Amino acid sequence: MRRILVIDDEKPTLSMFSLYLEAYGYDALTAENGEIGLEIFREKKPSIVLTDIKMPGMDGLEVLRRIKEINPDAEVIVITGHGDIDLALKALNLNATDFIDKPIRQEALESALKRAEERLDSLNGKEEEVSVRELAEASVMEIRGNVTSKSEPYMVKAYNEASGDGTRKLVLSFDSSASINGAGIAVLTQLLLESDKRGQPVAIAGPSENFTKVFDIVGITKFVNIFESEREALASLGVVS
Amino acid sequence: MFDILFKRIRHLSLKIKIFASTLAVVLLISVAIAMLARWILISSLTRELEQRGIAVAQSIAERGSGFILDHDKADLVSLVFDAAQLGERKILISYIFIEDTDGAILAHTFIHPFPYALLTENPLPEGVDHSVKLITVDNEEAYDIAVPVKEGIYTLGTVHVGLNKRHIDNLVGKLRFMFLGFISAIVVIIFLITLRISNYITQPISRLTKISDEISRGNLDFSMELGAITEGWEPRRCPAYANTDLPCWHFDQTRMEDQVPSPENVRTCKECLFYKKRRGDEVDQLADSFNNMIWSIKLYRRRLNDSEEKYRSLFDSNPDPVFVMDGKTHVILDANPRAEEVYLYGKDELIGMSVGELESEEGADGVSRFNMSERAGECFLYAKVRHLKKNGAPFFVNLHACRTYYRDKEAVIFSATDITDMVEKDAQLIQASKMTTLGEMSAGIAHELNQPLNAIKMGSDYLNMMSQKGDKAPMEHLAKVVAEISEQVDRAAAIINHLREFGRKSELIIEQVDINEPIRGVFTIIGQQLALQNIDVVLDLSEDLPLIRAHANRLEQIFFNLVTNARDAINGEWPGKTPDNPREIFIKSAMEYGRVAVTVSDTGCGIAPHDLQKVFEPFFTTKKTGQGMGLGLSISYGIVKDYGGEIEVGSEPGEGTTFKLTFPPSGQHV
Repeated sequence: MRRILVIDDEKPTLSMFSLYLEAYGYDALTAENGEIGLEIFREKKPSIVLTDIKMPGMDGLEVLRRIKEINPDAEVIVITGHGDIDLALKALNLNATDFIDKPIRQEALESALKRAEERLDSLNGKEEEVSVRELAEASVMEIRGNVTSKSEPYMVKAYNEASGDGTRKLVLSFDSSASINGAGIAVLTQLLLESDKRGQPVAIAGPSENFTKVFDIVGITKFVNIFESEREALASLGVVS
Repeated sequence: MFDILFKRIRHLSLKIKIFASTLAVVLLISVAIAMLARWILISSLTRELEQRGIAVAQSIAERGSGFILDHDKADLVSLVFDAAQLGERKILISYIFIEDTDGAILAHTFIHPFPYALLTENPLPEGVDHSVKLITVDNEEAYDIAVPVKEGIYTLGTVHVGLNKRHIDNLVGKLRFMFLGFISAIVVIIFLITLRISNYITQPISRLTKISDEISRGNLDFSMELGAITEGWEPRRCPAYANTDLPCWHFDQTRMEDQVPSPENVRTCKECLFYKKRRGDEVDQLADSFNNMIWSIKLYRRRLNDSEEKYRSLFDSNPDPVFVMDGKTHVILDANPRAEEVYLYGKDELIGMSVGELESEEGADGVSRFNMSERAGECFLYAKVRHLKKNGAPFFVNLHACRTYYRDKEAVIFSATDITDMVEKDAQLIQASKMTTLGEMSAGIAHELNQPLNAIKMGSDYLNMMSQKGDKAPMEHLAKVVAEISEQVDRAAAIINHLREFGRKSELIIEQVDINEPIRGVFTIIGQQLALQNIDVVLDLSEDLPLIRAHANRLEQIFFNLVTNARDAINGEWPGKTPDNPREIFIKSAMEYGRVAVTVSDTGCGIAPHDLQKVFEPFFTTKKTGQGMGLGLSISYGIVKDYGGEIEVGSEPGEGTTFKLTFPPSGQHV
């Protein structure tokens, strides 16, 4: 049974969380503010942390920073106000692994938890996060796990490999549980910009709803289209699988 | 009897009195003189004639004694005839005869036989030197004078001389006629003089009376001719005539023939001939004085009329309704035509009406509160008073009320300026600024609403999940979720209600407000936001404060403004700011000097002294362009003033700022 720590200044939210998470079969821990949350984190070492960003006293970003100081690999999902992508980006830059909007929808929470579970289950080496699959007319670069600044060399290597001579059709296929932090996004953006300059056709497939939103905000969607499935992405590049 | 007579005399005109009394006195004296003179004249004339008769008789007796002794009758006869016919004696003397002691006639002047009856008519007693007696002889009256003829000690006879009484009477009559004529002439002359004098005295008096009557009737425009003083001069020719600012009528300048009156010298005169006494008797001087008096009256009446007309026209043509109200009873005494137009009442309806009927119950702060004993002689402004027209339509007025006197009564004159448009514009402005505030609130509102929505969403999802899974969830869990959802819905509804209340356009009617309510209201919206920014809010609210007359949502707008300003000040940067600088907003409500006072203090950056005086000015802001219009505090200032409140600010740069608001209590408690 996994332990989840929920940090939120709203008591009703906390009590709902604990019922909810228990129904999912988690061991739910709750904290009303950041300080208590950190204390519980140190003591109980929960594998997943859900924290609200807007809190009096120590806010969610500070909690995130401290948790990452204690355990850089901790799964920290931040809860942001409805549609507040800026805050989500800030959190991603601080290596949050995911974010969900408030009011929290069941599916969003479920999928966020699922992704976290998957990431936790497949806690592999960074090189395993990226792999390249060659098709007849195109390359597919598969991305899973938690893309951070540490993943950069593997990302660049895999990207160059997949691009071949630099004009090969390329699909970036994200695993549904894949998470990408601020540094990861920066690397990705850099690579995509270079491809765009070269005139390399690139499409993105399968990032979670959250990251689709983030890609949209940072401007990636201006030169690369995002599709739900790998097949659609390939089709958009004129490749029939 | 005398009283009635006296009264009648008193009621007679002065002219008749003077005339009658003068005439009566003159007549009385004349008659007295005439009687005396007549008596003296007539008696002396008669005596004189008698003396002459006696003298004639004695001379005859002297000269005739020898002839009697000689019995010379012929000489004796010639003697008496000579004596009787001498000169004018023949008219006076009707007869002479001489008798001897025996009673025999010695001589006589009768040309017919001697009437012997004469002998016994006037006998001369012994030892008397003459005797006079009125007798009748030959049907004619005569004074018979008897004188004895003596020779030594012997008496020889008696001489009788008869004086013609008709002749004497003729003389006396002539004398009397002349005398009466003279007296009558004098009386006539006196009569005429008296008439003249009495006219001279009484005519100006009766004219004065007439003029006075005219003045009493209010007519001052009649020709002024009391005495003959006009000399072709018309007062209207005086250049000062039309100028009521000049001190006198400047007759001296205009009457000087060698000087032409001009606007330059007309004001330089040193003495006014007009008020100088002219030569003349008392009647002339009285007339002059009276003329001057009339001119003065005319002058002052003109000035009064001018002034009255001026103020009447100000009153009548005033674009605002103007009322005169009795100071004690608060009943309307007068109203101008504009008042009729605005209030839709007729003038006859307005006059006698109580001012309270114009003032609606809600606006019990109008001129009907005017207290005469309070601060006498001052003017008051009653701002934004709600008045009612005849048809019940309310409108807002500013009342300027001043104490005055109206027909010897203490009164209040007040004008009512219709400011409904302004009040509505103000309300619109306040509403617009409130909407701006609402926009500023939106971030806080979103956060506040998101919290309950989140809990509700999670709760309902939980229920959904349970029903889909078909699991038997513990009953207490379900109960807890449902209760929580219900509670959170209430919480969200309360926030929305509060917002709706805040955003509602205030009625123009002022409410009774517990000042703590809007203060708390502010924090239902942005309390959480402040907490998220780690700003401590300390409320020290006194619970048993009296209510104040205000609008709750406008007050909330003010406090919201002050609190967000405080928040911005705390979040601001200033030299010497340390990370552990206290972040606190302190709000205190209490009674202070009989007023409800609220202070809003922060530990923010403070306000520079040179900006401190400008904070209530519109469009003054220290914020960056686009972050604030600089209207919040100026609108707050206007709102506070509307409720009779005061707002002041104190600040120390780097230490913080305190706003203090005070309001008059309405007298009611929570």
